[in-house]
Amino acid sequence: MELLNMDNVTMKFGGLTAVNNFRIKINTGELIGLIGPNGAGKTTVFNMITGIYKPTVNKIYFQGQDITEVKPDKIAKVGIARTFQNMRLMNNLKVIDNVMIGFHLHLKSNLLSAILKLPGYTKEEEEIYNNSMELLKKVDLEKYENEKAGGLPYGQQRKLEIIRALATKPKLLLLDEPAAGMNPQETRELMDFIQQIQDEFELTVFLIEHDMKVVMGICKRILVMDYGVIIAEGKPKEIQDNPEVIKAYLGVDSDYA
Amino acid sequence: MKKQHEKYLTIISIIILGIVVYLAQNYLDAYKLRILNLGAIYVTLGVSLNLIYGFTGQFSLGHAGFMAIGAYTTALLVLPPYYKEIIFIIEPLVWPFTVLHTPFIFALLCSGFFAAIAALLIGLPVLRLKGDYLGIATLGFAEIIRIIANNIPQITNGALGIKGIPEFTNLWWSVGVALFTIYIIKGLIQSSYGRALMAIRDNEIAAEVIGVNLTYHKVMSFTIGAFFAGVAGGLFACLLTTIDPKAFMFVMTFNILIVVVLGGFGSITGTVIAAFLFNFFLEYLRPVEDGLDLGIFSIPKIPGLRMVTFSALLLIIILYKQKGLLGGVEFSWQGLFQFFNRFFNKKSSEGSAK
Repeated sequence: MELLNMDNVTMKFGGLTAVNNFRIKINTGELIGLIGPNGAGKTTVFNMITGIYKPTVNKIYFQGQDITEVKPDKIAKVGIARTFQNMRLMNNLKVIDNVMIGFHLHLKSNLLSAILKLPGYTKEEEEIYNNSMELLKKVDLEKYENEKAGGLPYGQQRKLEIIRALATKPKLLLLDEPAAGMNPQETRELMDFIQQIQDEFELTVFLIEHDMKVVMGICKRILVMDYGVIIAEGKPKEIQDNPEVIKAYLGVDSDYA
Repeated sequence: MKKQHEKYLTIISIIILGIVVYLAQNYLDAYKLRILNLGAIYVTLGVSLNLIYGFTGQFSLGHAGFMAIGAYTTALLVLPPYYKEIIFIIEPLVWPFTVLHTPFIFALLCSGFFAAIAALLIGLPVLRLKGDYLGIATLGFAEIIRIIANNIPQITNGALGIKGIPEFTNLWWSVGVALFTIYIIKGLIQSSYGRALMAIRDNEIAAEVIGVNLTYHKVMSFTIGAFFAGVAGGLFACLLTTIDPKAFMFVMTFNILIVVVLGGFGSITGTVIAAFLFNFFLEYLRPVEDGLDLGIFSIPKIPGLRMVTFSALLLIIILYKQKGLLGGVEFSWQGLFQFFNRFFNKKSSEGSAK
């Protein structure tokens, strides 16, 4: 089933075209990688999907519904969650609160019953807490429950951010360089973790990554971007041998050109 | 420590507070009562501003404006009609206000309601701004309210102000309203909605991307804060018995801001302590202004030196104790018992070492 469809979407900032004619169709259950050199426009694609930027030309569809003009919080509601390249946790809040915020958009109780702690709300809050702890256990962070999120080691902050995204109960999860700054051991764990949550939550994952081991290891399909355009698309093996990709990443010696 | 026990402790301490208020109300002189009343009103003001600034991270300087709306509303509603005819000498009061005469509690609720309506109207466009820009816009709003109050004598009696407001505010009212404010705002902060507010403060983009509706939550926090500022304004009017536009100049907001900064952003306990400390010092620092003569060296009388002292205090706090007096610690029974436990254990272990 088709989940996300970007049909020749273009994003311009004034005279600069950051993303040009970007097209992708993501089906339910896929795990797709997006790679490319720095400044290729990868994060801009994520920002367009999550409503932070509004594409200049053409539209984005999620489950057949036009989400081009929808605000970020409503996009989270329809089922797209993301993490950020330069992590955006609520550093001053406790680890558990960071996860519990993710459940806020599904809260049924109204403001008054929340303030007065009426039974209906208390029950819901308890449920949210239990579900959050459940999620924390998946990444072995339950013992840091009451620590401030900003005080966690880097690798664990990354995991916490993914967990927080999962709390919104997404259908599509966008991961922006999840392995950035991780050591090889942590990276391996992360790869396993991504595949594990994909199965468990029936997620569709779209990820940006620089670490080739991650991309080649877990993605079934890869898109390569350079200067805002897609220069290659295919299975990991095809991408590795594609001369265009090699050129974008390594450059071409002028003697042989 | 069980939840049930904590509930009993809270009820007991409220009863003790009631006794203290009763004794203070009956045995303290008017001067001391005035300071305590102001302290309690500043608790309401400080906690409500802390909700907007400390918990939601929206730098608002509009509190004096909301207070003014509340103060004028209460004044117009509780003044007896015959008295209104006497004091409105520049221009006669317009119709509905000439006949309106309501009980104090209803007037206070109206004060809060109108301040909240104003916050809703101003908040929707203005809360799109961030940081300093929001501060400037809300400051502008407060000034507009003051200038309007100055220029519609048919409702506010212009620069003359409204005099002879019945002195309804006593410690029961001011402390009661302060407790109610703390109860509601603490309830809000400790709920899922409160978490959303703090998420906005910590990282707006992240909050929005995980589904927090920014406009709704910011305006909600702003409106609830303004409601209590309006109620506090009503109490203020019925404490001083006379109000005029000059009472709601920027200095008013600045005083509340001092309380919030002293108490610490996002600390309700700190704000409560800071509110009373501020008012005590404001009065008991008066000797500072009287000048000092040491024979060879003398300081002349300088009116306003108190405020300089406060500014210096504020600088020290901002430089050395950014989290406020209590360092961001919130009062809880559990915390209190842990503190005592540690305190006594230390003592006994010191004793055994000897």
